[in-house]
Amino acid sequence: MRQRNEVDKRLPYGVKDLFLEDAARKTQAEETLRRVFTTWGYSEVIPPTFEYYESLAARTAPQVQEETYRFFDHEGRTLALRADLTIPTARIVATKLYDLPLPLRFYYVANVFRYQEPLGGQSREFTQAGIELVGVANPQADAEVIALCIEGLQRLGLGNFRVNLGHMGFIRQLFAALELSEGEKLGIWQAIDRKNTARLAEELAAYDANLAASQALRAVPQLFGGIGILDEAERLAPTLPAREVIGHLRSVLTLLQAYRVADYVILDLSEVRGMEYYTGITFEVFVEGFGFPVCGGGRYDNLIGHFGDPKPAVGFAITVERALAARDKLGPRPVPPAVHVVAQSCAHPECLALIRYGRDHAIRIEWDSLGRDEASLLAYAQARGINSVWICTGPGQRLALPQERPVTLEQIR
Amino acid sequence: MTVPLTIALPKGKILSRALSLLEQAGIDTGEVAGDGSRRLIFSSRDGLVRYVLAKDSDVPVYVEQGAADVGIVGQDVIEEMDRDVYEPLQLGLGYWRLVVAGPVNVDHKPMRMWPTVRVATKYPRLARQYFVSQGLAVELIPLHGSIELAPILGLADLIVDVVETGRTLQENGLVEWETIMACQACLIVNRASHKMRLAEITHLIEALSRVIAQQNSDKGPVAGDAGPPILSSFPEEKNGASSINE
Repeated sequence: MRQRNEVDKRLPYGVKDLFLEDAARKTQAEETLRRVFTTWGYSEVIPPTFEYYESLAARTAPQVQEETYRFFDHEGRTLALRADLTIPTARIVATKLYDLPLPLRFYYVANVFRYQEPLGGQSREFTQAGIELVGVANPQADAEVIALCIEGLQRLGLGNFRVNLGHMGFIRQLFAALELSEGEKLGIWQAIDRKNTARLAEELAAYDANLAASQALRAVPQLFGGIGILDEAERLAPTLPAREVIGHLRSVLTLLQAYRVADYVILDLSEVRGMEYYTGITFEVFVEGFGFPVCGGGRYDNLIGHFGDPKPAVGFAITVERALAARDKLGPRPVPPAVHVVAQSCAHPECLALIRYGRDHAIRIEWDSLGRDEASLLAYAQARGINSVWICTGPGQRLALPQERPVTLEQIR
Repeated sequence: MTVPLTIALPKGKILSRALSLLEQAGIDTGEVAGDGSRRLIFSSRDGLVRYVLAKDSDVPVYVEQGAADVGIVGQDVIEEMDRDVYEPLQLGLGYWRLVVAGPVNVDHKPMRMWPTVRVATKYPRLARQYFVSQGLAVELIPLHGSIELAPILGLADLIVDVVETGRTLQENGLVEWETIMACQACLIVNRASHKMRLAEITHLIEALSRVIAQQNSDKGPVAGDAGPPILSSFPEEKNGASSINE
């Protein structure tokens, strides 16, 4: 037999094993989200775990491409593990479901792979639970997606969280008004991303400070907070398309008030984070006491067109592991008490029938294949957190609790 | 809000300057400065703020992870650590540079003629980025202190390190060859805290901006500052920033 110290215990950096309570908690959270998504009319999409790198790299930033796990098939074609579910879903919609009546509503709960530092519970393999709403470009669709995201997180038991809502269009319109080159955009983009007002001023030094668009860009890092900042943004907006962006956000917020979830939302027009393919609203969710976003989403009206006929779409993905880590910070969560039985083994049809009856009623029953006595079973049950032990009381008899009370059909029911 | 706002401060020379700036901005620093003890965590007298003292390169880590809501640390450290944090405000608190330095009396060919450069540094990421951008092959020798020893002992040809007055370099027979970046201290903010504690953090930024704007308009150095700004553009930028705040 192998010695224990010879066992190869290695595990690649950035992946993890889940078992027992941790595995159960994760599955439970996923089930909760599946239920919520289903009740809002979404149906599941299950794309393959890997496909051609070329499809998966569509409209993604160089950084995401670098983070993609790639490998070759036997013909030398480059394959890749999916890094999100939005791109595969867009491909499926464009290449297979292009003539279905719109809107299409899809959800997924699936693992994705990114070659990046594990951070805040998000490893190199992690689980995204999310939705995509395809075929509608209006504020109603954006509001639905945000409201659904909030309900999902509420049902997971997250308490104090905020949806940080931005819009890619505002800054893009300011860039368009200043006719900036790609290189110039990058520096300004990075400064805004870090809310680094000093660096932003440096980057904008070359532009006439009196130009409306330049003034607006300088002010962007301060455009966060409540609905009031939309008035300020509207005043600063130099062009009609920029003002339309603000109008769109206003409509989304009005709808979220009707959903009674507007209190969860804060606005941040300087939030330029997110996937390269985002074209409209973008949002991230932050939880009190947890340093990392647990969810990201946004509108991507040009992605599906990359694979076929263009269609507008909006969606989000919750990182399940992060949502659970954030919930754990709120304190230990009581595990709902479920009946879990270990039954002493025997060969009496009556006993086995009772066990079968219990399982039919969704009671979790382990049959003790080791043939242990009552004392050992009680010790085992205690060590494993099993809350009930059934003892065989002899031929022709029924299983009983150690307190000499027989297990009855009524109890099981 | 019962949970205090947590501010990470770097142990070392900018600590006292940072505390003085916070005090001027009306933010109580409690006993942080006082007792010379080895305690690493302090509360303000009003209980609204908690201070943690950390190694400077750990400050961005604390803030990124959300263990601290905000931090004060040098730009050299922020860039080197490359953590995902907001950098909303430049604070001054001294002006220093990240430089390439080497021995004085070497009849050296220009660096571009060297087949490879051996560089000792506490800033491996920034050093690599710099030499790559210059098209130079570099061998990095990461060290944690007394970098100036490396060229003297032949451990490296050059060093990449920060200088404020240049005296340490001078006393070890080294001179600046190139400036990589000008630095000052910055306020950094955790992304989640920025959303979840918006009012407190906005208040902090505004209070600090006011003091800095005041200092710049007085044209006087920050209390405890070692000298005038190296780059005259810094104070103007800060005026720019504060005018946006209005």
